[in-house]
Amino acid sequence: MSKNEMERLVKEFLKDVKIKLPDWLKDKKEYKEILAELEDHVWSKAEELSNTGQPTLETVQVAIEQMGTPENIAKEYKRRGTPKVYITKELWPLYIKVLTILFLVIIAVNIIIPIINVIFDNISADEIVESIATGLQAGLFGSFAVVTIIFVALSMQGYFPEDFKSKKSLKDEAKQVELAKERGLAYQTKDGKPLKPFIKPVGEIIGGIVVISIGLFLFIQPIPGLNELIDPEFLLLVRFGSLFIITEGFLDMTRGLIGNRQVSTHQIIHIITIIVKLTSISIAVLMMMRPEIFPIIIYSESSDVFQNIGIKPEFYNTFRAIAALVITGIALSTIENFYNIYKLQKYRI
Amino acid sequence: MVAIIKRVKEYGSNVLISSQEFREYVEKQETEINRGISSLCILSIIKQSEEKELHGYKILKDLTNQTNEMLVIEEGTLYPILRKLEEEKIIKSRREETGRKKKFYSMTEYGERVFNHLAGFYSKLTEAIAPLFDVKVNLKQDKYLYCPMCANKIDLTNLELKFCTICGFNIEQELISRGLR
Repeated sequence: MSKNEMERLVKEFLKDVKIKLPDWLKDKKEYKEILAELEDHVWSKAEELSNTGQPTLETVQVAIEQMGTPENIAKEYKRRGTPKVYITKELWPLYIKVLTILFLVIIAVNIIIPIINVIFDNISADEIVESIATGLQAGLFGSFAVVTIIFVALSMQGYFPEDFKSKKSLKDEAKQVELAKERGLAYQTKDGKPLKPFIKPVGEIIGGIVVISIGLFLFIQPIPGLNELIDPEFLLLVRFGSLFIITEGFLDMTRGLIGNRQVSTHQIIHIITIIVKLTSISIAVLMMMRPEIFPIIIYSESSDVFQNIGIKPEFYNTFRAIAALVITGIALSTIENFYNIYKLQKYRI
Repeated sequence: MVAIIKRVKEYGSNVLISSQEFREYVEKQETEINRGISSLCILSIIKQSEEKELHGYKILKDLTNQTNEMLVIEEGTLYPILRKLEEEKIIKSRREETGRKKKFYSMTEYGERVFNHLAGFYSKLTEAIAPLFDVKVNLKQDKYLYCPMCANKIDLTNLELKFCTICGFNIEQELISRGLR
């Protein structure tokens, strides 16, 4: 009876500890070892406290008492990361990454939706600005609040980024680092990332944003006075062309956000970029075929207005030659993507 | 970590210790001080042990005895600390195959280096702050050399050592000046 009672007490204590343990630890199944170690400690202590060397109900009770409360034990397991503004240093990069991606998506959505509205509903510029401002305000603030609360909670529970990865993927990563070392590739010992990065993420992101901005400018064509002077067919071709530019910008930015990992994804993005570039040649060809719609805007001092004088027919061939050079340039620029796909192959380990 | 204040009885009704506010404040401060040094003391116990590997219960017992019951850890909270040290590759563990399958802890080679540095830093720090409390600390200079650059604790029994194993500082001059070379 007494033995059963002692075992019941110990089991109850262990059950309480288990409940209080952080979830990331329970997921690892390591908690079984932790509980076994605590149990061994309780019995050892109870044996020592007893005069006979055999645990008694009383010594078990004292031993459990001296273990500390399950809350305190669990709290020590949660005290894991390095504090940094309520979110631990370990979770900070992931937090920034999640916020960045979310913000970019929100910004993109808030820009694309008004653009669609402009095309189909013909809404005014004021309404567009208001819609973008409201959307951005609500979206950015809301997502910032939600993501921050989640990360603070995860930090308090002692989560690390690797706790979100499966055992298998962690093993694979370790294996990749080993293989990389064998092949002579320099890898950081901490996270397995190559020491010589194959892209500069910040540069790609900034470049992507610039390209998207140019694309959006060409798509929106926001200067009505200028648009009136230009052939609508040319404006339409520019608008189509801008879609390719925006797509390329997004692809560059995506590569920047992925950073120096997921080699396959980088290769796929390069393939998509090649397709986008080659497809965009069709727009250049269409323009090359219609030199008469290409605008040349000049300022007329006599009439104090801007005028579209277009290209004189005798220069059509020159125009076509220049257009052909541009097309060749676009085609040749794919070489860089092909080279990058080839270069990335070295990082596939 | 158990603060001393928690174990202190009230020997009068009007003593300061009967104030809840005082108790809580002092307990918090004592716990903070203990927290910083507990890992270092645990490592020291493991390093000093003759067996070179100890199970949790023994570590705790030795720690309580060797610190004259001044540094007392809530027994259950020892294991999260050991787990953290193991995760940081400072210590490693081995589980018994039979019986209660006790887990034994020992220091890794990397852990020993980290410990030597931290122990050196802590020793020098204790020596430096001792006058603030009107206490005298005597470092065993005949047994150890504390690297002038990084405070790494270097065992003088290793006479072949020329450079600090942590920062690479040339310690030969220091040894010559002490007449050890």
